[in-house]
Amino acid sequence: MTKKTRKERLVWLDIMITLLALELMSYFYYGVRSLVLGGVCIVVSLISEIVCLRLMNRTFTADDLTCTSDALIIALMMPAVMDYKIASIACIFAVIAAKNIFGGRRNMIFSPAAAAYVFMLTSWGKKLLLYPEPHVKAGIFDVPDGLVSSTSYVYNTTGKIDLTDFEIFMGNFSGPAGSVSILLLIVAAVMLMLRRDISVGAFIGTIAGTAFPACIMPISNTSPVKYALVTNMVLFAAVYIISDRRIAPQKEYYAFFYGLFIAVFSYIVVLTTGKENAVVIISVLFTPVALGFRNLEKKIALAHEEVFAIKQEAALVESEASDSGDEEISAETEDNGSE
Amino acid sequence: MNKKRTSVFKELLGNNIVLLSLMVISPVIICGDTLRNAAALVYAFSAITFLAVTISSFVPKRLPYTLKVIIYALISSVVYIPVKWAAQEFFPGAVVRIGIYFPLLAVNSLIIFRSESELYRMPKNAMIVRLIFYILGFDAVMLITGFIRELFAYGTINEKIVDINTLISGLSQPFGGFIFLGLFCGFYRWIRILVRNRKNEIRSDADVSGQ
Amino acid sequence: MFLVNDLIALLAANLILTQALGTSTIFIAADSRKNLVGTAFVITVFTFFGSAAAYYADKLLPEKYSDFKLLIYVISIGILYVILLSALYFISRKNFENSRKYIHLSVFNCAVMGTLLTVSERAASDSSFMGLKNYMTAGLEAGIGFITAALILTAAYRKLNSAKVPASFRGFPAMLVYLGIISMAVYSLI
Repeated sequence: MTKKTRKERLVWLDIMITLLALELMSYFYYGVRSLVLGGVCIVVSLISEIVCLRLMNRTFTADDLTCTSDALIIALMMPAVMDYKIASIACIFAVIAAKNIFGGRRNMIFSPAAAAYVFMLTSWGKKLLLYPEPHVKAGIFDVPDGLVSSTSYVYNTTGKIDLTDFEIFMGNFSGPAGSVSILLLIVAAVMLMLRRDISVGAFIGTIAGTAFPACIMPISNTSPVKYALVTNMVLFAAVYIISDRRIAPQKEYYAFFYGLFIAVFSYIVVLTTGKENAVVIISVLFTPVALGFRNLEKKIALAHEEVFAIKQEAALVESEASDSGDEEISAETEDNGSE
Repeated sequence: MNKKRTSVFKELLGNNIVLLSLMVISPVIICGDTLRNAAALVYAFSAITFLAVTISSFVPKRLPYTLKVIIYALISSVVYIPVKWAAQEFFPGAVVRIGIYFPLLAVNSLIIFRSESELYRMPKNAMIVRLIFYILGFDAVMLITGFIRELFAYGTINEKIVDINTLISGLSQPFGGFIFLGLFCGFYRWIRILVRNRKNEIRSDADVSGQ
Repeated sequence: MFLVNDLIALLAANLILTQALGTSTIFIAADSRKNLVGTAFVITVFTFFGSAAAYYADKLLPEKYSDFKLLIYVISIGILYVILLSALYFISRKNFENSRKYIHLSVFNCAVMGTLLTVSERAASDSSFMGLKNYMTAGLEAGIGFITAALILTAAYRKLNSAKVPASFRGFPAMLVYLGIISMAVYSLI
């Protein structure tokens, strides 16, 4: 097993642990329905991935289990009572159209979860943006009723949040199943950053890009930075989408600016249009920027290699020249000695 | 007889101008969201292209390329006018629904470029046959696209409701057309590769058994 | 702040992402930087000056002859075609052989003809839009939209044509899906 392969599997494992923790929190609030939804997403993604790999004449390895983490991210971005068919179609879209068509995990272009979310938003926007209240538990096959708009929507349109800090940290407000558990997300972010599983630069850039505009152009006058960070899936997207090492630029300073631009753009969109969860949409739109940064990194690396190769060649020529010079001197010395 | 059937099959599916050469894709992406629109576009494309290319084939070959291209475009713009009048009779409302993509068909790249680079270099009979297959290829793609997108985006077939549980409304949008056509293209190429590999296998088996 | 909204509005009106006009041309333009610059520049010239010609055509053509609009546009673009080729020939004969292909590729292109028809349709539905400045601005915006879409595609060009992409999707099919997902993101913002 190569070092890179081992690292990929460990990264997946760490991310899955944090996602499972969020999933457990979702179960606490919304019951077994959220677990079943997560399970359906994982199974459908796995089957789609296996089929795609077969069609590409590749074998399914442990590294291909990243499809399960993408599936769980999709499940946690949806309402806990989402229709299973819609969730399945979204997962199939993520695996096939957003990932394997471009070559799978070896040639990632889009974040599959972000692309699937935007796909759901454009096709089933109304269903995606209505959520159950916390502690309202629906049965596995129940048709949900009494759904409400998310707290983010209320904040975007009215500038008011009627929640205590404890409720915010514990995720006791309506919204996507995984993105409301703020305390868990903070812990996950710290853990994943310390273990270098996510891009630190991109994460910090996203937080800075949200906090700074929120100070200058607040949506509300009460704790604008706090509310800007805990609403509209900013923290969730910062950890699992923007800081995804498969997509974000590799160099931390490029990743910082990548995260910064996405966050600033999405904050302005939220401020001017009230669009919910704009950060996920903007992250898909900024895919060419991420690719541009990666191309730049490759060019710089190639240029460094060329310079290094030239320097090595020059050093070799120099050492050969000095060797032949030494030989001449020693030959002269011998001649003088013999005379 | 078998050879003729294979050659018809090859012409119809092997050289599809939309799926292989990515020509005339704008109407497929934007207007190919219902069977009705698709039918109107099929009629418009077939009529305009066949008439325009056939008439343009009489333009002297010795003229400079630039002049020829302008003449082809002028001929197809003139042909467009009666075709549009007929469309307003046979497909009422379609011309308004399809909008700018109707006149755009008159200046499609098959008429302007492919005819000059390929069709006009062939003998007249072969040119007509090849042209008909190109048109049929576009028609097939247009109708299949219109059918599938209407079915899954609106839950209807030719505006008659069908029992589909979950609709994907995004399929009716331009981005849905892009993604659907991309997948369709890829699927078509995959079939072509499979057929080609199979032919090569049969040929190599025949060589081996011949030895 | 409003720059962001203007950018989103520009993307939303992008002739490739929302109208699929000039998609085949953009695949050629994204191939190399030289092709990108050449094609984008020529298309912008055609849409800019073509829109001006479309304005005069719309202004002078009586309503009952609106079916002849396309014919008038084709004549205008044809004249522009000849003028551009002649200008390129007399300005720089050395570059003429290399650069004329961009003019041949761009003339009677969906992007160019589509822009004229779109602008004309817009003026027909909104009489306040009827003005030379508005027409030419719309033509220029269309050209900028083409450049934007070409840049978006260029960023991913290497990856979309990589050997890691399955053979049946390598190239055009992957580009279509890529543009589709970007277009989907633009659509979800409006």
